[in-house]
Amino acid sequence: MMAEPRKLVSSMLALTVFGALLFVPPLVLVFNQPISHFGIPQIVIYLFTVWLLLIVGTALLSRSLPPGDPDKSATPEDD
Amino acid sequence: MLSADFVIATAVGYVGLLFVLAFFGDRRARANKKSFLHSPAVYTLSISVYCTSWTFYGAVGNAAHSGLEFLTIYLGPTLVFVGWWFLLRRLVRISHNQRITSLADLLSSRFGKSNRLAVLVTCIAVIGIAPYIALQLKAVTSSIQAVAGSSEFGQGSLAGIDDVGLAFGIAAAMALFTILFGTRHVDAKEQHHGVVAAIAFEAVVKLGALLAVGIFVVYAGGGLEPIFRRAAELGVKAPTENTFNDRWLTTLVLSVAAIVCLPRQFQVTVVENSDESHLRVAGWAFPAYMLLMSLFILPIAVFGLSVMPAGSNPDMFALTLPMFYGQSPLALLAFIGGFSSATSMIILESIALSIMVSNHIVMPLVLRFSSSQPSADGQGVSRLLLVARRFSIILILSLGFFYFFFTRDSNALAPIGLISFTAIAQFFPAVLAALFWRDASLKGATSAIAAGFVIWVWCSFLPSFESVSPQVAMLVQHGPWGIAWLRPEALFGLDRLDPLSHAAFWSLTINVLTLTVVSLLTRQSALERIQSTLFVDVFRHGSTPQGNFVRGSATANDLFFVAERVLGDRRAAALFESAARESGVDPDRLEPSSEFIGRLERELAGSIGAASAHVMLSKVVTGSDVSLEEVMQMADETQQVIEYSQQLEKTSAELRSTARKLEDANTQLRELDSQKDEFLSQVSHEVRTPMTSIRSFSEILLDPQGIDDTQRQHFVSTIHQESLRLTRLLDEILDLSALERGERSWDNVPVDAEAALDRALRVCDALLRQRNMQVELGERASATMVEGDADRLCQVFINLVSNAVKYNDSSKPVLRVTSMVRSGSFSVEIADNGPGIPKSERTLIFEKFSRGKQGASDQSGAGLGLAISRQIIARMNGTLELVPGPLSGACFRVRLPVVR
Repeated sequence: MMAEPRKLVSSMLALTVFGALLFVPPLVLVFNQPISHFGIPQIVIYLFTVWLLLIVGTALLSRSLPPGDPDKSATPEDD
Repeated sequence: MLSADFVIATAVGYVGLLFVLAFFGDRRARANKKSFLHSPAVYTLSISVYCTSWTFYGAVGNAAHSGLEFLTIYLGPTLVFVGWWFLLRRLVRISHNQRITSLADLLSSRFGKSNRLAVLVTCIAVIGIAPYIALQLKAVTSSIQAVAGSSEFGQGSLAGIDDVGLAFGIAAAMALFTILFGTRHVDAKEQHHGVVAAIAFEAVVKLGALLAVGIFVVYAGGGLEPIFRRAAELGVKAPTENTFNDRWLTTLVLSVAAIVCLPRQFQVTVVENSDESHLRVAGWAFPAYMLLMSLFILPIAVFGLSVMPAGSNPDMFALTLPMFYGQSPLALLAFIGGFSSATSMIILESIALSIMVSNHIVMPLVLRFSSSQPSADGQGVSRLLLVARRFSIILILSLGFFYFFFTRDSNALAPIGLISFTAIAQFFPAVLAALFWRDASLKGATSAIAAGFVIWVWCSFLPSFESVSPQVAMLVQHGPWGIAWLRPEALFGLDRLDPLSHAAFWSLTINVLTLTVVSLLTRQSALERIQSTLFVDVFRHGSTPQGNFVRGSATANDLFFVAERVLGDRRAAALFESAARESGVDPDRLEPSSEFIGRLERELAGSIGAASAHVMLSKVVTGSDVSLEEVMQMADETQQVIEYSQQLEKTSAELRSTARKLEDANTQLRELDSQKDEFLSQVSHEVRTPMTSIRSFSEILLDPQGIDDTQRQHFVSTIHQESLRLTRLLDEILDLSALERGERSWDNVPVDAEAALDRALRVCDALLRQRNMQVELGERASATMVEGDADRLCQVFINLVSNAVKYNDSSKPVLRVTSMVRSGSFSVEIADNGPGIPKSERTLIFEKFSRGKQGASDQSGAGLGLAISRQIIARMNGTLELVPGPLSGACFRVRLPVVR
């Protein structure tokens, strides 16, 4: 997928800000119920899921961003 | 079963392995720029030095105590890396551009290359990190003791050695190891590829170890569900109810600050970064690493709480659980994992801190107390830096050891780490301001960091000694001198927060407030303003050429000498040769341009920090402190514009004055022209009258009939008279114009003026008699010599006398002549009792062709007499003027200077 770089950067900012909001009260309190799924407390599942989603989101966005800056002469190395 | 001796031997062997790894990693990285050591994977793994034994052991203990709180320590950094585009990328770009070597260097460089700020940051970092080092010592000590205490023969050679002795041994070994590792040479960009390679390896080891322990625990517990269920049945479930309180938020914020500001994190993330694009991978890979690290922490803690005997240390569950189940190899792996996480932290942290100490404290002192050329030894500075770094590593580990010594019985691992986090977080507002707020000033940053640090010492550092010192306990309980509102854990009466949140809240609030207010109230220096632009607009300007020196008196030789001392012979030579190649001259004849000096400064900054490099070059490039190139350039352009406009103004002023002169000349010419016209018309008028009468009389004479001889005689004599008059007129005109042009010159010689006057009266005698004019001779001077020409003087007197005769219509005409000598001038007054000259004519009578209108019986004069007379007298340096006379008529006075 190839989107506008500016929108990608905006999405990145949104991901960061909403990620932060999802980790702090009051949103975490919504999921902090004494319920367990598969024997694991719901809040634990919630936190790890959000965390995983942030990682995946960042990976996708970083990959879509155009490589380097126009003013940067060095070519990125092979990974 | 494991024994202490065995694990210590394993640890030593492991360190040996690391050393070999570092050595070959270094060589490989130097030999091959494309080696996998420069890959984003190694970069990401090296960042995971963030996960120390605090993670390996402390997080489990923390989870056992306070449930999910341990997660915030990893969620904060996750957010920073998710948003890597905004903060980390900027940091990395700026640090590459400015050759930043440490956090202290970054702040100092941004705030006007101030060394004072660098010193402050360095000191706070060294003090603030001491608890963190102590934490690692404590973890390693505890893990060895845990192995030793597990069986009766486990003690081995450790028998009789207590925690303190063991910790001292560990600290000493670590110091030695770090010195061997990190201070072999001074690098251009403070990059330590070998160390990074070893750190990356350790990151794999500790992750593997913790995952292995976690999988074992899940396996031993029969799956996740049974573990949590059993824990719940036993009533030991981790407290989750009250997790999301002020502490949750506080630790989240502190960890965000820590991942940026911790000296070792800054070192691996920013300084050791060899390619900006590595951040793309690290942005998601490092959070993923932390997620894997945290995955099994809660199960380990919960399982440990439910199966381990009461009173066992939850911090050590990761090690003691495998031992409890008799899994010696796994326990050994766990021990190595924990040891790994501790060593990597200690090595990198002390390298990073030692760079700060040597660059910002030792180097400026050396610069201050040495002359500009302290040693003839080319390697002097390099060696000095290495020695300084070695000593600072020893100092840093000693501080950590002492902190451990004083607080050895007081705390679990995690709270100690948070004390350090709070100290390091004091840099965060300044770092953010440095990157994003153009107006943040040096004074603002310095006072903010200092204020935050003071509150940290009072509210966080001091209370950590509560359990070992009764005085501190008293102080915490009642406040200093019983002042309750100064109690360290309830400052200003705020006692609702837990101590960590309390300290973080007050220190950071006052920090931010001070930064904002002081920055708004103070003014930035020129260098600060330039640096702030370079930092804040780093992406706008791209690679702004940065040269803060104007080409001054520095020669390439001086500069080479400085460069050689810091960079070493080979690198300095390479730098100068490449500069010479670029400018296309022989290296010996390189002229240091300001651009080159700027580049040199950045290279030096890479080794000794921005402030020191600036000071060092300032010593060589004289008068450079104020000569900031950008400022000069701007000033230059302005100056050029000003000069140009001044020139324009000057030219236009000249043109204006020329135009005015031309205008004046034109007016003068016009006037002269009109005078000439007037003169010509007057002359022709004067000439015409006698010509007319001559013509008419001669026409009459041409007809001989009708006139008798008497008449004929009369006509001929009239023609004769008229022609005489005409001749006289022309003579006079010629005379006057010659006089005016200065052509008719005579030599002014001493003549007797009195004699000239007498002669004139004699000449006029006949005329006077003819008119029956009575001559009154008044006072007469004796013979007086004046400068002049006797004939000309006589001519003037005759003119005056004859005028007096001609214009006198009185029945009893009187002429009065007086002469006298007064104050060095001879004056003659010739007065008559005629009609006088009316006021309206008085200014005109000396003009050409002006004739008195009243009382003239005979208008034969051309009206040039007085004009000629005045010219003559002027040539004799005298004056001829009309004065109020003793008689009713006019009175003319001639004044001439007397010859002595």
